[in-house]
Amino acid sequence: MELIDNLYLGFATALSFQNLMYCLLGVTIGMLIGVLPGVGNLAAISMLLPLTFYVEPTTALVLLAGIYYGAQYGGSTASILLNLPGHPAAAVVCLDGYPMTREGRAGVALFMTTIASFVGSAFAIVLLAAFAPPLASIALSFGAAEYFAIMVLGLVGASLLAQGSPIKGVASVIIGLVLGLVGTDVTTGMQRFAFGVTYVYDGINIVALAMGLFGITEVIANVGRVDNSNATKRITLRSMLPTRDDVKRSLAPMLRGSAVGSGVGILPGAGVAIASFMAYAIEKRVARDPSRFGKGAIEGITAPESANNAAAQSAFIPTLTLGIPGDAVMALMLGALMIHGIAPGPTVISETPEIFWGLVASFLIGNLILLVLNIPFISVWVSILRIPYTILFPSVILFIVIGVYSINNAHVDVLLVAAFGAMGYWLYLLKFEPAPLLLGFILGPLLEENFRRSLLISRGELGIFIERPISATFLALTVLLVAWTIISSLRRRKRQFASVEEAG
Amino acid sequence: MKLLIGAFAGALLAASSALTPAVAQEFTKPLRIVVAAPPGGTSDILARLIAPELSEAVGQPVVVENKAGAGSNIGADYVAKAEPDAHTLLLMDVSTLATAPWLYSDLSYDPTNDLAPVTMISFSPYIFAVNPQLEIDNVEALVALGEEDPRALRIGNSGIGSATHLAGVMLGDHLGLDWTTIPYRGGSESSRAVVSGEATVIINGSTATLPFVKSGQLTGIALTGDSRLDDLPDMPTFGELGLAADQMGSWQGLLTTGGSSEELVERLGEEVRRIVESPEMQARVAEQGARTATGTSQEFSTWLADSTETYGEIIQQFGITIQ
Repeated sequence: MELIDNLYLGFATALSFQNLMYCLLGVTIGMLIGVLPGVGNLAAISMLLPLTFYVEPTTALVLLAGIYYGAQYGGSTASILLNLPGHPAAAVVCLDGYPMTREGRAGVALFMTTIASFVGSAFAIVLLAAFAPPLASIALSFGAAEYFAIMVLGLVGASLLAQGSPIKGVASVIIGLVLGLVGTDVTTGMQRFAFGVTYVYDGINIVALAMGLFGITEVIANVGRVDNSNATKRITLRSMLPTRDDVKRSLAPMLRGSAVGSGVGILPGAGVAIASFMAYAIEKRVARDPSRFGKGAIEGITAPESANNAAAQSAFIPTLTLGIPGDAVMALMLGALMIHGIAPGPTVISETPEIFWGLVASFLIGNLILLVLNIPFISVWVSILRIPYTILFPSVILFIVIGVYSINNAHVDVLLVAAFGAMGYWLYLLKFEPAPLLLGFILGPLLEENFRRSLLISRGELGIFIERPISATFLALTVLLVAWTIISSLRRRKRQFASVEEAG
Repeated sequence: MKLLIGAFAGALLAASSALTPAVAQEFTKPLRIVVAAPPGGTSDILARLIAPELSEAVGQPVVVENKAGAGSNIGADYVAKAEPDAHTLLLMDVSTLATAPWLYSDLSYDPTNDLAPVTMISFSPYIFAVNPQLEIDNVEALVALGEEDPRALRIGNSGIGSATHLAGVMLGDHLGLDWTTIPYRGGSESSRAVVSGEATVIINGSTATLPFVKSGQLTGIALTGDSRLDDLPDMPTFGELGLAADQMGSWQGLLTTGGSSEELVERLGEEVRRIVESPEMQARVAEQGARTATGTSQEFSTWLADSTETYGEIIQQFGITIQ
């Protein structure tokens, strides 16, 4: 039993006093960063990077990784309580988490997201321990055509996120796509809609967009509202406990979310946010009564929360087994490894098994710590709602400004938050939804880049999308999804028609 | 008498401290090293290794701040427009300073006059590598494959106008290859692509590429710079093969705001060179596949002027534009 031996080695490494302390430190910092709106884990990790020059490489990675996945736990806290996502991936949790708070079920929502986070992480850690190398080679078989096909499916799925008018939903996606065009066109190097502003040459900062659209908009919308009534109730343990119905409804969504999240997570560059959006869209599709979504459906928070934690954990698969980082934070962790003279890549597992298995074990320990840390904190977080709005909202804005500035140290991002806040409020008044907009913004550039890259590879032949089996499968799924949506809406109309005729 | 001596000594002290600023300029407030790249990269790690020692040397705190984006031009622009007092430093891959004037018609700063070179820090060569599925390990075989099946050769780079793009263009022209250029967002994306086989050829910094070559995920063909790598003694240099772009690579340099006092710039240069040339630092830099490369501010200025001219010729010859 090689796996058992490896896990034994891993736990022996991870349970050393020093590693345990660094793990605790990492996940605690991560959780706090996650809770603070806009503060990115990249900024925190880069500040702690010098510390890692002086400790063992395993210890260094245990700390940095702890911040990374710890931040996924806290991210949904402010989404649920204040409609303010801690990071862009947590924006999805706003859709149903915030309505739960308004119903006085904030405690339940926080409790269930903590459980869902743990389930998602645990699911992905098992995959990481058991199948990391084969999964990494699957991830490598995804080229530009496959990425394009997945993004198409994602974009069509995005139409499901819209809660009100479908036309307005589509319009929101398109506004997002247009905002995604801003900056350098990767394929030609041309500047689009940058108007000579150097700061947006690399595109609009997604954190500024998400914080403006969700956070600032929410603050403006609440100005003048005086009642804090839903929040003044005392938080008892009972009010935190989910009902049997909550648990029953969440089991399958958590597992589906974990699977989707793990799948998206192993694709370098796809990102945690796409995992959350996809998990939400799937739940809404498979739900018997999709109209419950957006009004406090528990599946609407547990599925995406499992998905983003699973994605954050499975993103370590390509990073550790191939040396290919999925995002800037992963790249930073590889940098930390290289400082210690360890070349990232397939040899990490065989040549320095204590690092790989030590990390795997520390992930499990870290997630257990997060579970234990988070549950007692729920009542603390919920008590934030008792802070009068006159103090709470200015502080929220202050945190957003600090957080957004910390991403790039760029004052332009702060101005952008203000602009997107104004735009978000205008969209709010017109009843356009921010979530499809954000998804359009995330998917648009990936869709375009991978489409044009595929055509570069095929030298202009569109056949590349259907010749490659994985890409063809995803495109076929998209066609099926569209067909199903059309047919089911026609049927519904026919039935309504029939019932009207019967009545008449 | 005692009192008199005391008074005299006091007066002397007062006089000497009043004279000091005129004799030797000092660093009067915290220094900042602006890194024009995201955390975790070569520039960032260098800055964070240098900062604590520089702080000790100049007696002021030294803070590292990342201002990434627009191909390092955001960070460069920031330092170019800072107070010209040598307290704001810029650490970056300085190739950008040589290409930016040619690529951006409305560049918001003048790399020659708004920035003052302090010292060069390190050099890491580019590695020219291919996906192992091509089953080639030398330039002749690559050229033969390119003539037989041009679609097999797809070169990834870190973005249009990046130094890795220019190196690819020069090399392709030199070898007479009609390869497909595929731009990516940065070096880690292009590395992913060439490891997966989406692209098949890459020219990229050794820090990023060396691990892939060592593990066999990529086959190394050649490297830029003057000397072979200790890790891969069999891989020839561009110079040995007579290839174009043989001096290209990632040059990490330190600059400050133009118009700063020459004395302070000189002092910074000396301190940083001393830090960089220490054995521990050289070892750290070597672990990243780079080597320390120091040079006075004068040498750095000359290098920058020469490079600007060379890149200008290439960019105009191949009509590379990004606006």
